[in-house]
Amino acid sequence: MEKKTTVAEKNRLETLLQDDGVVQTPAMGPLVTYPLEIVVPEVRHQTPAVGQRATRPDCRLHGLGQTKYIDDMTFPGMLYARIKRAGIASARIKSIDTSEAEAMPGVVAVITGRDIPCNSFGPSLKDQPVLADTRVFHAGDGVAAVAAVTEQIANDALLKIKVEYEALTPVLDPLESLKLETPGVHAPSANIYGSKVIKKGDVAKGFAESDHIFEGHFRTQMVEHVPLEPHSTIAMWDANGRLSIYSTLGRITLGRADVARTLGIPMSRIRMIATIVGGNFGGKNEITTEPVLALLSKKTGRPVKGTFTRSEEFIASTTRHPLIMDYKTGVTKEGKILARKVRLVLDGGAYCSWSETTLGKACILSAGPYNIENLHAEAFVVYTNKTMTGAMRGFGAPQVCFAYESHMDDIATALNIDPLDIRLLNAFDEGSLSPTGQTLQSVVVRESLLRAAERFGWHAKSNASDGAGAGAIVASKTTKGNGVRS
Amino acid sequence: MMNVTLKVNGETRTASVPAETTLLKLLRESFNLTGAKLGCDVGDCGACTVIVDGLPVNSCLMLVNQADGREVLTIEGLASTDRLHPLQKVFEDFGSLQCGFCGPGIIMSAKALLDDNPSPTVPEIRDALGGNLCRCTGYAKMIEAILSAAGARETADKSA
Repeated sequence: MEKKTTVAEKNRLETLLQDDGVVQTPAMGPLVTYPLEIVVPEVRHQTPAVGQRATRPDCRLHGLGQTKYIDDMTFPGMLYARIKRAGIASARIKSIDTSEAEAMPGVVAVITGRDIPCNSFGPSLKDQPVLADTRVFHAGDGVAAVAAVTEQIANDALLKIKVEYEALTPVLDPLESLKLETPGVHAPSANIYGSKVIKKGDVAKGFAESDHIFEGHFRTQMVEHVPLEPHSTIAMWDANGRLSIYSTLGRITLGRADVARTLGIPMSRIRMIATIVGGNFGGKNEITTEPVLALLSKKTGRPVKGTFTRSEEFIASTTRHPLIMDYKTGVTKEGKILARKVRLVLDGGAYCSWSETTLGKACILSAGPYNIENLHAEAFVVYTNKTMTGAMRGFGAPQVCFAYESHMDDIATALNIDPLDIRLLNAFDEGSLSPTGQTLQSVVVRESLLRAAERFGWHAKSNASDGAGAGAIVASKTTKGNGVRS
Repeated sequence: MMNVTLKVNGETRTASVPAETTLLKLLRESFNLTGAKLGCDVGDCGACTVIVDGLPVNSCLMLVNQADGREVLTIEGLASTDRLHPLQKVFEDFGSLQCGFCGPGIIMSAKALLDDNPSPTVPEIRDALGGNLCRCTGYAKMIEAILSAAGARETADKSA
């Protein structure tokens, strides 16, 4: 089956070759058409949902390989952008020399942070530069951007950009960062940029009345979302001063506002086009290089595509907050919790991003799904010269769940109480008050625990004391207690 | 620049590309077959999996001269104009794909498995998908779908 190239396609190809010489040509393969039976959902027809398998209307194109993610799109004359990353955790930028890169054949434009009209953004605090211009706050900061006719040339050009740094001592330990005498990452401000305290009852009194007091210290690590599709954007600035951006952003309206602010143009001139996203998990909630690509497009008059490498996904996109969690819990000899004190330190990395949301949720949930009359929970988020942290599935809930459930197991073991029983003794009931005083409704912690224990034969397992059952109980709490679902 | 000639989805294709071009870039940029995805570019994620001479291959790690003269099957070559490939059908029926980015690679790995082993066990399926990462689904529905496709094929073979 030989495919014929049409005259129109041949002409288009020749035009493109004249433009760029070696530029890769789009759309020369056979156009794929599948006259397949189309699934048309019945409208206004109520189907039973529970117990049914969910099929997705986009599944067919995914399976055929015909879904167009941003990296699958090309536009005539499109250029490829790459960002030079600082590779140093904390530094003052003394000079950036882009002349050698600009002189390379195939390089069409180079920009630095000085070219950005308003070089700061962020979902809450505007503390993140689009491209670092005077200071580098973490190794993944971009310092310059190149647009070239091929990705390979853009990569080569990055090596020709010379940046002179004055290295500064980075702040890497969040507990160090918490101290007031530690130099500010974003000097002159202190490193603590968010805090929350929740008080309920009288903790001192609760501890005094307790038969036993337990302490536990827990840490979690930084986690990257690792969406299979790296961040990708195509920007097109037309001659009429209007900007179109194809973006993998999950929040395009928010992104549009940030792009407008950083570029100093009205939002009405920006069209953000969301396409199918190849995995987000909270990592594609804010802009990354969109303003840079827009400016490269403005400078070159061509569409510009920028796709993160896998390495950039790890160093230059947001991650899950590492938490340092200190628990102190007073219990009766039967295992009833009388008082709990929690201190959380969130490592925010170099920029705020969605830290405030994460801080709040982690603090509120830090006591666990348990009735605790006397509670003192405090949480702080601090800057460090590390990859920034931001939104990720659960916003701080999985970290504290790991801590309070591990702590609960430790208490149960020390008191020789069944881990299930100690949870049943303390679990929220219908109408229980949350740590912030909210009356809880539809509370099924107890029922969920009992049903789960019955399903996987908890008592048989705990009698065998093999430890496997304890893990299962905790896992069931993770999903039932906090609603953390991927 | 080097000239390569290879068979892609049954058709002989030629291209003139720089020697450092990978098979993945060749498929995506020269032939506009964008079904195979670039996920990590180092052979870890399997989003770029295609079948070369019957074996699943990370096309991001194969240079064009290694692919020269060989036979390549991509996700675009599975369905015919009037019907889905059985694997595509079961992946759709079981709702096996969510964001879908890993899908083409996973389906190609599954195809290579079933071509070699028509009735695989669950551990064999897990092993065959060992080079494909998915961050959405947890793999369970993919494994169910592949089992079902294998079962359907077996039934069809017996009745034939």
